[in-house]
Amino acid sequence: MTGSLKFAAVGTVVAQRTFPALDREDLRRYAEASGDQNPLHLETAFARGAGFDDVIVHGMLGMALLGRLLDEAFPAQPLLHFRSRFRNVIPVGRAIVCKATLTASDGGVADLALAAATEGGPVAIEGSARLLVENIA
Amino acid sequence: MAIDRQFIGYSLPPFTVTVERERLRQFAVAIGGWSSGGDEDRAPPTYLKVIEGEDNSSRKILAALGVDLRRVLHAEQEFEFHAPYRAGDRLAVERTVSNIYERKAGELEFVVVDTLIRQSSGALVARTQQVILVRNAAPVTT
Repeated sequence: MTGSLKFAAVGTVVAQRTFPALDREDLRRYAEASGDQNPLHLETAFARGAGFDDVIVHGMLGMALLGRLLDEAFPAQPLLHFRSRFRNVIPVGRAIVCKATLTASDGGVADLALAAATEGGPVAIEGSARLLVENIA
Repeated sequence: MAIDRQFIGYSLPPFTVTVERERLRQFAVAIGGWSSGGDEDRAPPTYLKVIEGEDNSSRKILAALGVDLRRVLHAEQEFEFHAPYRAGDRLAVERTVSNIYERKAGELEFVVVDTLIRQSSGALVARTQQVILVRNAAPVTT
């Protein structure tokens, strides 16, 4: 994949992967590992009290999937910048489609637009990343 | 309830975090796997959020601002990577509320928290920005 970013045309989808649905156990594990114990992700009653049908996936867990997409597709390209806007909640039990599109490539860096959407549903995370394409030693 | 704009500029006392290999391993499992390029001391990019959230720092900021946790959602997160870090490093974390603004006539308020993460030498590892959405109009029940 190393050459693909350098020579890809702007507008090309340069990486895409569907991650399997997350369940409550995944959220419990992420809460423990990340330290984000917000009950919105762990307790159904709390999530309902906050206006949701059930517990929702940590936004940062969705962003971590985008990070995995980048790492797996471009392992040799260091990440310079990584941003996410959490636009819709990710429910449990739905596969998550992650996609990276090249938006600019210039001066040894590549800019990507990122999206994570629940399968058949709305875009939950809209993001961007800047990768170093050419390491000038 | 509107958040007092006097909290713009509010900083938590700086704290330090030692990056632990076992925590990195647990985090890698929790995100469903991480290749780490064969280097188990290398963290996934979003691990910076764990570092900045140590010392219960996000909850401390919300508590200082008087925000009800049930009204809060994570709106945005941004990482600017300056230098790598690895397990064993001791990092200094400084978090500051850089802005508070509203939308929809105060129905929604946004709290922007800027964070600097440095090596103990002072060298910058990362700048991050977290935007917290406070849903003032949301019906919350206990």
